[in-house]
Amino acid sequence: MGPFIVTGLVLGSIYAVSVLGLVLTYNASRVFNFAHGAIAYFAAVTYYWLTRFEGWSVPAAAVAVIFVVGPLVGLILWRLVFRRLTDSPPVVRFVSTVGLWVAIPAFAKLLYGTTVVGGEVLAPGFGGEPPGEFDLLGVTVNWNQASVVIGAAVVALAFGIMLRYTPFGLSTRAAVDSPRVASIAGINPPVVSAISWMLGCGLAALAGVLLSPTLGLGEVQFTLLLVVSFAAAVVGRLRSLPLAFAGALLIGLLQGLSEKYTNDWFSDSTSTFADTLKTGFKPSIPFIVMLAFLLAYQGLRREQFEVDLRAGPAEAEIVPATRLTGWRAAIGPLAVAVALFSVPLWLNDFWVGVVSQGVALAVLFLTFTVVIGEGGMLSLAQIALAGIGAFTAAKLATDAGWPVWLALLAGALLTVPIGLLVAALSMRLGDLYLALATLAFAQLVTYLLFQRQDFDNFSSGVEIARPEFFGIDFDDRVSFYLLLATVFCVVALVVVSLRRSTSGMVLAAMRSSEQASATIGISVVRSKLIVFGVSAFIAGLGGGLYAVSFGRATVQSFSVLVGIVWLAIVVTWGIRSVVGALMAAILYVVVSPPTNKLSFILVIIVVFFMMGMTARLIGSRAIYTPRGMALAALLYIAGIAAIVLVLPIDVKEEIDLGTAWDYIPTLLFGLGAVFLARQPRGVLFDVMNRIRLRQLRRDARTAESAPLAQEAAP
Amino acid sequence: MSGPLLDARGITVQYGGVVALDAVDFAADERAVTGLVGPNGAGKTTLFGVLSGLVRPRSGRVLLGDVDITGASPQRRARSGLARTFQRLELFGEMTVREHLVVAHRVRERRDRWLLRDLVGLGSRPTADEADVVESTLSLLALDGVADQPVALLPLGTARIVELARALATEPRVVLLDEPMSGLDVQETGRIAEALRVARDERGVAFVIVEHDIELVLELSTQITVLDFGRVIARGAPEQIRSSASVQAAYLGTDTANGGAT
Repeated sequence: MGPFIVTGLVLGSIYAVSVLGLVLTYNASRVFNFAHGAIAYFAAVTYYWLTRFEGWSVPAAAVAVIFVVGPLVGLILWRLVFRRLTDSPPVVRFVSTVGLWVAIPAFAKLLYGTTVVGGEVLAPGFGGEPPGEFDLLGVTVNWNQASVVIGAAVVALAFGIMLRYTPFGLSTRAAVDSPRVASIAGINPPVVSAISWMLGCGLAALAGVLLSPTLGLGEVQFTLLLVVSFAAAVVGRLRSLPLAFAGALLIGLLQGLSEKYTNDWFSDSTSTFADTLKTGFKPSIPFIVMLAFLLAYQGLRREQFEVDLRAGPAEAEIVPATRLTGWRAAIGPLAVAVALFSVPLWLNDFWVGVVSQGVALAVLFLTFTVVIGEGGMLSLAQIALAGIGAFTAAKLATDAGWPVWLALLAGALLTVPIGLLVAALSMRLGDLYLALATLAFAQLVTYLLFQRQDFDNFSSGVEIARPEFFGIDFDDRVSFYLLLATVFCVVALVVVSLRRSTSGMVLAAMRSSEQASATIGISVVRSKLIVFGVSAFIAGLGGGLYAVSFGRATVQSFSVLVGIVWLAIVVTWGIRSVVGALMAAILYVVVSPPTNKLSFILVIIVVFFMMGMTARLIGSRAIYTPRGMALAALLYIAGIAAIVLVLPIDVKEEIDLGTAWDYIPTLLFGLGAVFLARQPRGVLFDVMNRIRLRQLRRDARTAESAPLAQEAAP
Repeated sequence: MSGPLLDARGITVQYGGVVALDAVDFAADERAVTGLVGPNGAGKTTLFGVLSGLVRPRSGRVLLGDVDITGASPQRRARSGLARTFQRLELFGEMTVREHLVVAHRVRERRDRWLLRDLVGLGSRPTADEADVVESTLSLLALDGVADQPVALLPLGTARIVELARALATEPRVVLLDEPMSGLDVQETGRIAEALRVARDERGVAFVIVEHDIELVLELSTQITVLDFGRVIARGAPEQIRSSASVQAAYLGTDTANGGAT
């Protein structure tokens, strides 16, 4: 028992240090930092690099990382990102920090090289190497462990004193309660906020430094650190530092003890379920704690949640543009469809295979378009739903011998009730808590379901063949590609028609104002259930197709972290746009390893340039004249010619970009999300909107007096 | 049906230890404009919340026609003919003016129920009835000129009229107006007042209006209820209210009642 308590206390102390930083920064700026774990990771890698490669002593490196690197990272990120987020809509706040979560580890790997951060290496701790040991009440404790616990206690004490007794503490508390009043009283909220971010990131750095000698530098450990911090923050209702601190210790202790008991209970059990629990139970604990507290708080004191969550301002700054109507509205989608279906004509077999994966993924991405873009709910459960669809389809097709198309459909249908269940549990929570609850759900599914041996199968997953139905075999690449493109177009049409329909209007109303929606008779609960149901179906179907495009469903392709990256890309390209989802998906598969070939990247640049031009052309009046059409056609021919010329026929002669390139896409996805998400509907929408708004203003100017006079008449 | 159209009896609301409304009675007649006035913090907004179902009273009953709607959700109230506007604009930022009316009318008709039709793209055709209601409401409130503009680009006065139009598109029996004139200039105020008269006379809609500008309420309403510190201190026709001593006390302030002199 003793050693397990010690392990638990050590873990709990690290978590506690981390959650202090998270809650502090949240309260100072209303930005919940999803990149907290990534900052800790960056600090830990820096610390490791300084001690192992630069020959710094442990205390010097620790001081440098905790007191210089951490706060500096905090200050830089505050200046560039966090400062602007306080007044942004929830989606933007969320996606920007998620973008950092994706970008920072990639940046660290690029900066320090894979040799430093490759495996699960341990950094040196404060206890010497090997760490000295001593005896405490019959339990052997090493100095690494002791230093962690002592460090956490000192930090907690220092924080308590600082917040209660120092002027900075007072102004922090004031700025948290009411920034405006605080600024009238002579406090400068930006300064307080900057200092809080420096302190918060310093604490993240401390957590990273403490964690690296104990659990190593695996990226997974830091993701876990992050989510445990989330869970502990939820225990403290995102406000209370002492409660969050206690929550972190509790989770650590539970994890320490679970190691003992899961081993005891399941040591001689041989069932798959027991096996899964043995490995999956310990990492599930924070999520179980988080879900339990979320549901308990929700039942007990709903108002308190509402107040916290509705603090964010409305999307007031987004001015919607008028829509195109009639045949003009059809030009853009038709151009995209023609481009999509003509891919086999201008790409060789290899690349058709790559693009098929992209199109399959695009179907999956439409689930984000529905749940976030239409429903306005930040669900992180979509990747788990996609995984459920994929594994169900693969199991049914391969193990039970169902026809593949039927298995895919069954997988998609099965995810619907699961999605509805997730919705029922989480939809009354506000934006942030909904994101956290769905994240918890996704992680639980991964740990307790996907990692079962018969699913994981030593990382090789479950096989699934390409479908065959109505006598047509879709086994060769081109016909399979055409099938996927068709499915994508159908699902995209469904999403678009949902948006334009009565239900879509109801959802738009709900996104803008739940109060006003309720008073004209809209049932918010029903609408949210519909959104979740439809998005779950699309996730299940897309997940299944994505698995088929690889030939197997694997745990890795549906891990939560992958889902986060996907979400970041989709939001960057346009969460309200089906074309945005398509472009995001193709971009993702193309620039993800191993297809890091220069020529293809050039092609993609050309394609995206063409799509951007299409957007511009649709938005401008000129295109609807014969001259404009001729110009557009010319542009397109030039674009396709460029693609054909740039793309070499022989794949082997291509220029390979080297391993460093592997991290650049991830870095760019992350940074893209951080900086482009300021327009929450994405790049595409932004471009179109600017064009149409300009047009609207021009129209208003030309017909200046007429509408105004009309309006003034009573 | 006998008695008033909207009838609230003995409404009590408490926020923690503060009694926001203390056994308040309130009634609004059919085809009439009923005023609700009182100094800041008198409980007007809370009473509106109770009437529209956003605030649950500790005790008391609310009747719409002959139906008890005390425990009903805002949605159910909306379907049985009660609509409201908001003091802080609550428009649907992504929609045009016309779409505000269309969605309100379709929800009223329960056309949002047919998800499958929507998914295959059949859910967006306007019916004859819908076109009728939407167009006539647009022209009733003189919104034809801006019907296809996004609401985000409208001036405040027009935006408030859009809120009113959205409420009317649900084909209500009674509309609650929460400070419909706040922040408007004289001309815009005149437009709203005119719109209310037209809607009352042509559609037979009843209105309950909360407004800071007491002169305006006296001019518009046939019946007025005055609240102060969560209690009804006066009730009656405009001329009675104008001469009531307790109302003057509440508004101008005496040593007993020291309300805001707005």
